[in-house]
Parts: sequence; structure tokens; C-alpha cells
Amino acid sequence: MADILTTSVSGLLAFQRALATTGHNIANANTDGYSRQRVEFTARPPQGFGNGFIGSGTQIRTVQRSFDAFIAGEVLLAGTAHSRLDSFHNLATRMDNMLADPTAGLTPSLQGFFNALQDVADDPSSIPAREALLGQAESLAARFHSLDQGFVELDKEVNARITESVAKINSLADAIAELNKEIVRLQGAVGQPPNDLLDQRDLLIRQLSEDVEVNTLVQDDGSMNVFIGSGQTLVIGGEVNRLETAPNEFEPTRLEVVYAGTSGNTIVTESLNGGTIGGVIDFRREMLEPARNALGRVAVAVADSFNAQHREGMNLDGQMGADFFAVGAPSALPSASNTGTAAISVSVQDISALTTADYELSFDGAAYTLTRAGSSIAIPMSGSGSAADPFVAEGLSIVVGAGAAAGDSFLLRPTRPAASGFAALLNDPDAIAAAAPVRAEAATANLGDATISAGAVIDVNDPGLLSPATIQFIDPSTYSINGAGAFAYTPGADIDINGVRVQIDGSPLAGDTFTIAANAGGVGDNRNALLLGSLQSASILDGGTASFQDGYGRLVAQVGTTTQRAGINLEAQSSVLANAQLSYESVSGVNLDEEAANLLRYQQSYQAMAQMVGVVDSLFQTLLGAFSR
Amino acid sequence: MRIATSTFLRQGIDAIQSLQSTLSRTQQQISSGRRIVSPSDDPVGAAHVLELTRGLEETGQYQRNGEIARNRLSLEEESLIGVGNILQRARELALQANNASQSDETRGFMAVELREMQEQLVQIANTRDAAGQYLFAGYQSRTEPFVRNASGFQYLGDQGQRLVQIGEGRQVADGDPGSEVFQMIRIGNGVFSTDANAANTGTGVISTGSVIDPTALVPDTYAVNFVTPTDYEVRDSGGGLVASGVYADGDAISFNGMQLEISGQPAMGDSFTVAPAINQDMFTTLENLATALETPTLNDTGRAHLHNDINDGLANLDRAIGQVLEIRTRVGTRLSTIESQRDMNEGIELQLAQTLSAVQDLDYAEALTSLNQQLAVLEAAQQTFVRVQGLSLFDTL
Repeated sequence: MADILTTSVSGLLAFQRALATTGHNIANANTDGYSRQRVEFTARPPQGFGNGFIGSGTQIRTVQRSFDAFIAGEVLLAGTAHSRLDSFHNLATRMDNMLADPTAGLTPSLQGFFNALQDVADDPSSIPAREALLGQAESLAARFHSLDQGFVELDKEVNARITESVAKINSLADAIAELNKEIVRLQGAVGQPPNDLLDQRDLLIRQLSEDVEVNTLVQDDGSMNVFIGSGQTLVIGGEVNRLETAPNEFEPTRLEVVYAGTSGNTIVTESLNGGTIGGVIDFRREMLEPARNALGRVAVAVADSFNAQHREGMNLDGQMGADFFAVGAPSALPSASNTGTAAISVSVQDISALTTADYELSFDGAAYTLTRAGSSIAIPMSGSGSAADPFVAEGLSIVVGAGAAAGDSFLLRPTRPAASGFAALLNDPDAIAAAAPVRAEAATANLGDATISAGAVIDVNDPGLLSPATIQFIDPSTYSINGAGAFAYTPGADIDINGVRVQIDGSPLAGDTFTIAANAGGVGDNRNALLLGSLQSASILDGGTASFQDGYGRLVAQVGTTTQRAGINLEAQSSVLANAQLSYESVSGVNLDEEAANLLRYQQSYQAMAQMVGVVDSLFQTLLGAFSR
Repeated sequence: MRIATSTFLRQGIDAIQSLQSTLSRTQQQISSGRRIVSPSDDPVGAAHVLELTRGLEETGQYQRNGEIARNRLSLEEESLIGVGNILQRARELALQANNASQSDETRGFMAVELREMQEQLVQIANTRDAAGQYLFAGYQSRTEPFVRNASGFQYLGDQGQRLVQIGEGRQVADGDPGSEVFQMIRIGNGVFSTDANAANTGTGVISTGSVIDPTALVPDTYAVNFVTPTDYEVRDSGGGLVASGVYADGDAISFNGMQLEISGQPAMGDSFTVAPAINQDMFTTLENLATALETPTLNDTGRAHLHNDINDGLANLDRAIGQVLEIRTRVGTRLSTIESQRDMNEGIELQLAQTLSAVQDLDYAEALTSLNQQLAVLEAAQQTFVRVQGLSLFDTL
């Protein structure tokens, strides 16, 4: 009879625990990372009698957590890819919105500037029109600044996000290491897995994978090793190798992620693939930096081409035009680890060959090698690098100073500083060079009917540019220049004198003279203004295939396309993640209806067992009654 | 499949959130009226919008440029009409003065009128536009172009001609330099000019002459010398004999592709010059004419000089009138160029605006339909959420 009681008690105890587990499940129905637990019953060993084995009740073999490591792994992968895309898309959308309003971008400013230029061309001596042009130049500069400032703000945010992610990764790694120790201790003491701690650790891993892609490996003692990047161990048992942020060797304002391993510091920025930090780093590399460079390139193109043409003109005071715009010069940043003292100077030599890339120039002790940043393919350079014969490649002219040591390297940013350094230099409306510096005229006394073109500047640096010159016909087919020489006359052919090109057409007679002279008092001349205006549609970028406007349009299209693609990928990844989560929750999630059913089931079993104890009691009473009679 | 209770919650909320974000985009589209809210909505379209907006702005600027050029050319045309009228009146006076019935006194009155006209002509040549710029000064639009000095009229402008951009790759001149309108006018018949020697004692009057064979033309200064009252010879500037003949009143004399007539009775030793036509401004033409009319005619020789001078003046006036007409024609051509370019620009503007609208603007009917659809779906999702969340076995325990 005692064995029946033992059987009953074993059932009571087991169902009590099962009820407790069900209660635990219900209590944690909303707990993040909680895996539903299931009690596994097993029959107690039977007692053997001559006539067979009699069962002796039930016992709990283990409390199992419903967890499928494979499905959980899928959630991790999907989650890390999702949060990478999410952070990328988040930043991309911000940039996209910056460029969203077609009335607020660079295009209307450029157009406003060129319209004002046309107004000056329409009425070159009008001071109000000139003032308006200077105003438009200021607002163009302001637009370049505000766009670049937007990019700078995004860059600062990238740094802040990297710092934040690294801090989060480190604190999660610490927590995982702590849990590892606890799990190893408990599993050793009890011999059963501490389910709730495993859940907590899995949750931490999932949180970690939101920031960075991780690989995990569970050890026999129950501890879990965590790897990041290209196999760097973040957590090994109870030990943590922390990540740190460090300034870029070339550019202190650019943060890199450094792995502080046992064998020294390694830069792991580019090998951190997924997660928030991966998305932020990808954004910086794929969108932010190319966009800043593209904007800078437009600024360089506007300033350089406009300045060159403006210098060929004459202003209202009869002076040659000065530079109209200033633009940030290309930067050459030495690596912090350089041991030599060489200084590098970079300048833009050919706008049409200029790219939006950054470059790395490295010295191996004998020769310099130029590569695009992030690539190892050498770009051929012509020249020797001296001031007289600079290296020339991809539209850049590079002069290297003496004193470089082997292993020294430099980061070249040809277009990055351009937009922030863009400024309108002229304050005086008279200083706008709308006129051409020279004019060509036929003498009033000419007897022939030959005409001369107005004259165009072909070499503004010619010292004799503004000196008067006379073309006199010795006979109808020969002319002299300034009284010297005898040149054969071809109607309509170019005649170049003192950096000025003219054409004479028609039939001159002997003695006819044509003069080229400084355009003194030519305040109504708009020839240079028209040439400046024609720059708007001139194809001067990308090997002569794109205008400034096109350059900016390509930037907008690029940002739009990348954002759009990120959005589409994010949406696809969201459904991948949702599916993975669905599978995961289908295994590990708590279903309250199921728990309600279990509650009923275990309650009934418990009541039945209690009934059993009552039966044993009545058996006792029966027995006792029989003896007491 | 097992569904965890939290899955219901998450899926329901996810669905509602995603519907709300779609709805928010539609709302943004409707409130902005733009199909492309940010470049990522349609990257190619967004770049296209920039290009189209720029094109519209640019064409608008061309229209304004064209309007400015049109105003200036209209002003120039007005001025040229004034110049033409004055020259016509001067021509009538010259013809009148050439009439034998006129006396020195009446010619003197005409001279006064001619000088008055000359004044008017100078004023027109120094016309300024509304912005105070001289119309006929070339590039030097702030310099008064025509001033009188001791030796006549001086042009202080230049031969510059300003162009205005009225369309893509299309420029039109917004004026003509004064040198071309008033100053550089060929005298005589445009190729050569004839003149009687001031010391002539006969009554020979030389005609303006004409070119009869351009290929035989040798530009040089020739002298037609009367070796006797009936024999002439033509000598070039080197003294070489070019032609000679017997003179008959009114007969044509031709040499080196040129032909001219001398009428009247030249005396022995009289000489006439035939020289390549030089440029002369129209003020000087009037001046010379007035001076000729003011010179008293004492005898037949004097009358011959007067006739010669008036003939010269008439020829020069005709040249000037021709010049003004030619420039008026050019101005007219430019005005019609501007007109046709304006029509073309309007066409371009319309087309750009239509394309821009097609690329950028929202189709409201479509947007409102999808708004209604999205609202209906969202409401359904919210109701489903509430009903599913209300189900629990515990309620029945």
C-alpha cells in the first residue's frame, strides 16, 4: 500500500512541477527571447515481483526548452542582414530627402546664376544686373555649402553611430561572457541545462547580431564563443576582446573600428559586414563619400571653368578679369605612420578626366604608386613627380616633395574639400568681366570690302594681349602685321596675333588696314559674358559628356537609385526576417491557448493523483476498521 | 503550424505599420501634388525633373533676352526711319537746288534747312535708350559716339556689335554700330567716285558713272584730262595713259570696266578725277551739300561747279539712303528672327512643361483611388487585429 502512496506522491510532485512550468510559460509569454519549456515525464523504474513488474509512478526526466538552433541561426542571419539594410536605408533616406526638393537643390541655384549672367549679357553696363549676378554667385556658394554641410552632418552622425555601436557591442560581449561563466557553473553543478540563462544568452547574441554580424560556437561545457568580422574572437568563454574606435591614419575625423586582440590592434572596419555598424560603414563608403566627391567635382568644374573664361575677359574698369570663384583645393593627407617628411601637392589639371574617387599614393623607397582608395590596382602615372614634370593621372597633377621614406603613404582627396571651399570672390560689380579685352576694327578709310571678326582671346597669358596691332594689306593677297612680314591672305582663315584670333573675310585692297586694340571703354561689350553663359551647357565633365547640371543630376540619380535599391532590399529582407521569426516563434513561442490546455491537463492529473491518495487513505481506513472491530 | 500568441501581436502590428507607411506616402504625394516625393521614388525621373526644370528656366530667360533685343531693335528701327526721312527730304532739296530756276538766295535758305537736318541727324545718331546707353556707339555704349570737331565729325564709338542669346545656340545682334549706319558709307556709285577739278574753267559736268565690267575693273585714281576742249586722255595714278578719245557732249567715256559721261563744254586743261570710292559719313555729305549751296554762282563755270557738287551730293545721299534701307532690312530680319524664335521657345516651353507634368505631377484620380483602397485595407487590418487579440481560451475556463 505504501508503494501506491509513493506512486501517487510521485505523480503529485511531477504534476506540481508541470503546473509550475506551465505557469512559468504563461508568465513569460511576453518575455523577449524566452523559449517555451516543456516537462518531459518518464515512468519510474518498476518493482519486480514474481508475477511481473509493478509500476511505481512517474518522474520528470528534464525540463526541455523548445529551441531549434538551426532556426535560431536563420533568425540571427536574417536579423543581422535586416539591421544592416535598415541602418543603411535610414541614412540613405536622409540623404535622399536632402536632395528631394527640386526647387532647393543645386540646379535652381546654378540656373539662377546663369540667368543673372544672361541679364548681364543683355545689358553689360547695367550695375543692377551686375549686382544681381554677384548676389546669385553668393547664393550659389551658399547652396554648395549647405549641401556639403548636410553631408558633413551625416558624416558626424556616421561617426557617432559607429561609436555607439562599438560601445553596445562591447557591453553585450561583457554580458555574454558573464552568462557564459554562470552557465558553465550551473550546468556543472546540476548536470542539466539552465534553460532561462541559455535564453538570455541567445537573446544577447541576437541583440549583438543587430549591431554586427557574428558567428557562434557552443562548447561542451555550455559556454559559447563569439566571432566577428573575418574571424576575430569577441568572446571566448568568460573572456572578452573588446572593439575600439580609432581615428583614420590619414584623416583623424574619420573613425575606424579597431579590434584589440591578443596580437595587437587590427583595423576591422571593412570586414564588419552586417548589422547596424556594417550598414553605417557601407553607407559611408558607398553613398556619403562618393556623393560628397561628386558635389565637390561639380564645384571644381564650375569654379575652374568659370574662372578660366572670366580671366579671358575685361571688366568695367578696363582690367582683365580676376578669379570669380574660389574652390577648396585638393587635399593630400599624409598617413600618421609616415616616417618621411615629404609633402605632396595635388592640383586639378584636367576637369574632364576628373573622377569622384579618392586615391592613395604610396612610396616603396624607389617609386610612387597611385591606387584608388580601397583598391590595389595601380593607376599608371606620367611624369616624374617634380614641379617641372609632375605626375599626371586621372586629371590630377601631383608634385611630390623630397624626403619620403619607404612605406610612406598619402591619401589624395581631389574633390572632397571643393564644395566647402567654394566662395564667390568678387564684391565689386565693376569687376565682372563681361567684355572681351580686345576689339578688331576695319579702318574707316579702307577701300576694299573686307571685314574683320570681332576677335577672340586664345591665349590670355600673352604679354602683348592688350597691345595694339595693325594688319595692313600690301596688296590684295598679302598683308603685313605691325609693318613687318608678308603673309599670304586666305579669306576667312585664322590670323593669330598677340594671343588674339581674328578672321578677315572679303576682298581687301592694297593699303587697307585692320586694327586690333584693347577694348577701352567697351562697357557695352558682352562677348565674354556670352562665352561664360555658354559654359552652362558645355560638356566638360566625364570626358566631355556631361555639363555641371548633368554632373549634379547624376549625383541625384545615384543617391535616388541607391536609396531605392536599399529600400527594396530592406523590404525583401523584412519578409525573410519575418518568415524566420515565424518559424522561430512557431517552435519557441508560447501559445497561451496551448498553455491553458496544459493547465487543465495537469490540473486534472493532479486532482486524479490526489484522488488516488484518498483511495489509499480509504484502503487504510478499511484495513484499520477491520482490525479495530 | 504552431502559432505563438506573440506572433499574432507582432504580425498584426507589422501589417498595420506597413499599411500606415504606404498611406503616409500617398498622403505626402497628394498634399505635395508630386508623384516623386524624393529621388528614390524614381531616380531616373528625379534627374529628368531637374533637367526639365532647368530647361524651362533657361527658355524663360531666352524669352526675356529676346524681349530685350526686340525693344532695342524696335528703337533702332524708329531711329532709322527718322534718318531715312531726313535723307529723303535732303535729297528733295538737292534736286530742287539743282534746278536752274533757283537763285543764290533760295539755295541759301535750302542750305540753312540742310544744316538743320544735319543737327537732327547727329541727335539721332547719338540716341540713348531707356537705360541711358547710346544706341549707335558699338561696345562703348557709355560714350557719346558722334562729336563735331574742327575737321568734321568724329566717331568715338567702335565697330563692336553686341549679340543676345535668344535660344539654344541662337544669337541675334541687338543693334548696329554707328560707324556702319552713319559713317562708313561709300561715296559716288559705291565703287568709284568722280569729281571735277576745282580749277576747271570750262562748264563740264561729270556724271557719277557706273561699273560696266567688274572683271576689267582696276581700282586706281585716274585723271581725265582735256588736252584740247575736244580731246581727252585718261591717265592712271602713275601717269600711264589708259585711254584717250575725242570728246562729244554727253558721250560715254569708258576705261578699265568703268563708264562715265561728261556733259557741257570743258576747257583745255580741265581735269576730272575718277578715284576708288572712299567712306564718308552722312553728316559730311550734308555739310558738303550745304557748303555747295552757300557758294555763290557767279558765272557758268560756277554753275558747273555747283552742278558737279550737287551731283556728288545726290549720289552720296542715295548711297546713304541705300545704306539705311539695308540696315533697316537687317533689323527687320532680326526682328522676325526673334519673333520666330519666340514662337519656337513657346513651343519648347509648352512641351517641357507637359513632359515635366507627366514625369513629376501626380495623377490625382489614381492617387485618390489608391488612398481609398489603402484606408479600407488599414481599417480591415485594425478590426482583424482587435478580433484576433480578443480570442483566448482562458476566457472560457
